[in-house]
Amino acid sequence: MSIEQITGRYVTVTVAGRRQRIYFEEAGQGPAVLCLHTAGSDTRQWRHILNDTGITADHRIVAFDMPWHGKSLPPEGFQTEEYLLTTETYMETVLAVVAALGLDRPVLAGVSMGGRIALQLAVHHPEAFSAFLAIEASDFQPAWYDIDWFQRPDANGSEMGAALVSTNISPHAPEAERWNTLWMFMQSGPGVFRGDLSFYTRDDSLVGQLHRIDTARTPVHFIVGAYDFTCTPEDAQRTADQIAGSTLAVMDEVGHFPMSEHPEGFRPFFVDGLKRVMAQVPADGA
Amino acid sequence: MIEKMREMQQRLEQSPHLHRLGALFSDTVLIKVDGREYYLVFEKGRIDRVVEGPSKRTPYRFGFVTDAAALEAFWTPTPAPGFHDIFAMVKIGRAEIVGDMLLLVKNLRFFKEVIALPRTAKEAA
Repeated sequence: MSIEQITGRYVTVTVAGRRQRIYFEEAGQGPAVLCLHTAGSDTRQWRHILNDTGITADHRIVAFDMPWHGKSLPPEGFQTEEYLLTTETYMETVLAVVAALGLDRPVLAGVSMGGRIALQLAVHHPEAFSAFLAIEASDFQPAWYDIDWFQRPDANGSEMGAALVSTNISPHAPEAERWNTLWMFMQSGPGVFRGDLSFYTRDDSLVGQLHRIDTARTPVHFIVGAYDFTCTPEDAQRTADQIAGSTLAVMDEVGHFPMSEHPEGFRPFFVDGLKRVMAQVPADGA
Repeated sequence: MIEKMREMQQRLEQSPHLHRLGALFSDTVLIKVDGREYYLVFEKGRIDRVVEGPSKRTPYRFGFVTDAAALEAFWTPTPAPGFHDIFAMVKIGRAEIVGDMLLLVKNLRFFKEVIALPRTAKEAA
């Protein structure tokens, strides 16, 4: 028998005037690292980092399910709504969780759409964070698929979503973790992946804004997998090139869901990234 | 290449979970490699027969068009980035999907697993 060190609880916050009951998990003690999951999935993507005692020995790792995802229910009245995530709602949700949990300028580690919003927050609300890890992240990615495929009555959108995102999983990923990763997409609620992708593939408001990030105050480090065909290493490099002082590392054997699909391949890059950005955080905490 | 198509057919016969996933799939798919046509005629998740082209009269629902070198790279145990997945091959310009794309995505897991069947087992680490 083994009981994992992860603890899960709920916190209720108000986002865009609406009550949102949000599920979060955490483990460890030390400077906080707030971790954001990808589109169409949930906090379980971070299970290996949350259980990594080598990391949690000196970091408080926190991850939460966005509303509509995982164990965070949709808001009251959802049954008549079309779920469409927006940059504004997403930023407000992250900031509300930071405040509600009393996180003192955490490192923000976001993957895919989580990486996109991390960069948006680096532009618009750097004061709330000490540094940013932008993982599988870019300024903008137009869709190479039709997002409406994922919600139609004559198709199984969740199975379709899983089959589509399998394009971005490395063949080096352990088979069990590949399927654990895909299972989360298979469990996604109807229309949720589509609503996330609407934000990810249509909102280009970050373009032209990245030069505003001051890495002397809030360092930014990119991590990207060579098997990621949604945000390729070239996409991440193009984005990093717009942020003076940012750094980038490419994982040769990893895809778009590194912490979930290939935990051993991702771990050294995550640990290196954390060390890198925390060493650059100004001592005055400004 | 026709041998590979027949190998796909045989391996599919030995893959019961794919018969379940493809139980509602009874359509013809074109695989076009270096201009040569191979029609896979599916019947309830099995390949009933492989028909070699050229043919202008064989109706197919969708097709996967590529070249032999790309397909061989796709079938290696641990393909290089871009050759590990049919959509990735499209993205790097080494393949094209023609015909009814929606039918393909409705059956995407099934078709992806079928076309990968000739991929040899991962070598022991």
